[in-house]
Amino acid sequence: MAFDVGTPINTALLLFILYSVQKIVFPSTSLPKEIPHEFRNGYSWLPKSHQPTVLFKTYTPKTLAPFHGKDNGRILLAINGIVFDVTAGRNFYGPRNFAGRDASKGMAKQSFDLDMLTPIDQPLDKLTDLQPDEIDNMKGWVEHFSNKYIVCGKLVENDVA
Amino acid sequence: MAFSISDLLVTDDLTILLGLIAGTVFLLRTFYRPQPLVHPILLGRQSEVAKVRNPGESAVYRNYGTGLMNRFPLRPHKDVHVLSDLVRSDLEAPRTLWSTKITNAALQDRVASFGTGLLRLANLQTQESNVLLLLNDCIEFLIADLALSSHSIPSMTLAASNLLSPVLDTHPPSAIITHAEFLPTLLELIYDAGEEGRHHTIVVVGEPSSRVMASVASKVKVLLWTDVEREGFKVPKIMSPLPKPSDVFSVSFFADSDGHVQGTQITHTNITAGVAAIHALFPVSALLSSLDTIVSSHSLGGTYGRAIAYVAIFEGTSFATTESFKLFRADEVTGKQDVADVLSAQLHTIPSATILFLKPAHVDALVDAILREAKKSLVLNAFAWRHKNASISEGFVSKDTLWDRLVYDAARANVIGEGAGTVRTVIVGEGLLSANVLTPARVALSCPIIHTLTHPTVAGPAFALHALDLQDFSTAEEDPTKSFAPVGPPTVSIEAKLLGVDDSAVEDGADPTGILVVRGPPVTKQLSGEDLESSSGYVNVRTGESTSSGNADDDDGWVNLGFKIRVLTNGSFRVVA
Repeated sequence: MAFDVGTPINTALLLFILYSVQKIVFPSTSLPKEIPHEFRNGYSWLPKSHQPTVLFKTYTPKTLAPFHGKDNGRILLAINGIVFDVTAGRNFYGPRNFAGRDASKGMAKQSFDLDMLTPIDQPLDKLTDLQPDEIDNMKGWVEHFSNKYIVCGKLVENDVA
Repeated sequence: MAFSISDLLVTDDLTILLGLIAGTVFLLRTFYRPQPLVHPILLGRQSEVAKVRNPGESAVYRNYGTGLMNRFPLRPHKDVHVLSDLVRSDLEAPRTLWSTKITNAALQDRVASFGTGLLRLANLQTQESNVLLLLNDCIEFLIADLALSSHSIPSMTLAASNLLSPVLDTHPPSAIITHAEFLPTLLELIYDAGEEGRHHTIVVVGEPSSRVMASVASKVKVLLWTDVEREGFKVPKIMSPLPKPSDVFSVSFFADSDGHVQGTQITHTNITAGVAAIHALFPVSALLSSLDTIVSSHSLGGTYGRAIAYVAIFEGTSFATTESFKLFRADEVTGKQDVADVLSAQLHTIPSATILFLKPAHVDALVDAILREAKKSLVLNAFAWRHKNASISEGFVSKDTLWDRLVYDAARANVIGEGAGTVRTVIVGEGLLSANVLTPARVALSCPIIHTLTHPTVAGPAFALHALDLQDFSTAEEDPTKSFAPVGPPTVSIEAKLLGVDDSAVEDGADPTGILVVRGPPVTKQLSGEDLESSSGYVNVRTGESTSSGNADDDDGWVNLGFKIRVLTNGSFRVVA
């Protein structure tokens, strides 16, 4: 059989075969210029960024107030001096009464009334007028929130921070 | 135009042939690629990260398999609570420990006899006395350790022989167990210390010469090991109350990076958690079993070496150690960590080694030797090296490939001897490999190489790479000789965080870098400064007391390991030089 590669198809096929065989017999061993960020692009890959973590901050009533979520920002809520990030529960704790405020009394008394909140520039509510079962109720809410949401800070008086 | 379309597309028999070949070659290239041993998507998230972090610190990292909510595994099996439970009576097959072929039942008998004999002849009291073990790695070490722990008598061990005089000064033992060759040196030290009125009891393994026995002072009582065992064999065994898992059964003394003597207290829980951690190093497809043989180059006097020995006991494997870490020898020769040392373990009558726990210097020497042997077949080696590297960069390594048969099996056999074919995993600890050795090591040994981070206060490894992880992050631009290989995520029973982290850099997305602190069941508790005050009144400071926060390092149980470390985005850790 004459080895006539004058015909273009034969030439093309022959070149393809030679190229593939060369790749099989001489695999590439060059190091990549930079580490790939997708596992499809390479076996030794690294994700582009770290898992997001929240920095534990100390908040005062004044610095906590901006986190009411009205501008699609984070929503923070404080119970018993612990600040929770409840952005995930936007539907429940959205721009309403308790977002960005100390909700301890409201959680204890199971009420969403506005008079449960103390104004921002006054000292924190000491919660001395609560009944034992209301304190238990509030502790139950703290437990529920700790399991469901992220604890991201603590709440102190305005002049302490 | 002279040609028409039909002229261009003319086909003949040759076309069909070439077409078939092209199709085959294409299919070969596409589907015959080596499959990675572990899918790279799993390697993208190796630790579980906490959602919140304190200022100046990083978040808490745990192994992805353990997760943040679960408790740490404390024991390899639910029935193992104290050290003696690690000798499982349901395993009946004999295995070889150093040169002694023994079954678990026989081992338990020997342990009970020795314990009883020692209590009677050396007048030891449970929970009051302590015994110093000045033994090289041998079966007597394990028997003594198990016997003393079952009677709640703490044992003391040394990780290096130059710690002997400081330890004798600060923690005088009620009894000492040592080898016959070391007895003269020990007697000299005791006489030099010149402690009047102190009675010493020494149990000697082996036969001391009569000259040495004659030089024994009247206050020193020397017993032979064989006599003690025989005594305990004859009489009914003394049963002591079972120790609690949180009891300290051993104190290991080591020298920290500043050269100070530190001691760390090992409890039963530390060792069982360490055994569980080492057990978890192996993938499910290749677990440890009683068919394996473990060779370790880590001395039993240290916590890491002890955890490895107890893994061997628990799993029923054969076990031996290498010669370079004979701590107590009559001569002054220090062992070199090289290939001959690795082979020295085979001088014991153990079956061919399958799992090697080595130090980085051993691995460097081995890999060097194997690659030099392989280079002797020039042409084939060029191909073999290229192909092996290409398949490792796809995530696959195996001993059964064509290139192994042609080049590397012969090279390994020339270096390691006939046992070369059985080595199936190499675990590197007590030191750090440099990044550019990792891939050549995988090519040369053609088996998973697990790089770990160890510390004298942690039983077992603290961090370990996934067993089937073959990733190599060297790029064409950075210089790999300058950095260490990554050590992977924390092991299943450790949680870790970094102190001294730059908050603003991390908030911007940089890798957290800082000082490593760990916590978890295998982390042992160091002796505090007052206990280590030597006779000159100089108080030794622990590494932990210089952390940036100014608190003592065991605030909430976090222990500073003294490494500066960086976290990569996939949850793997890397020590910064």
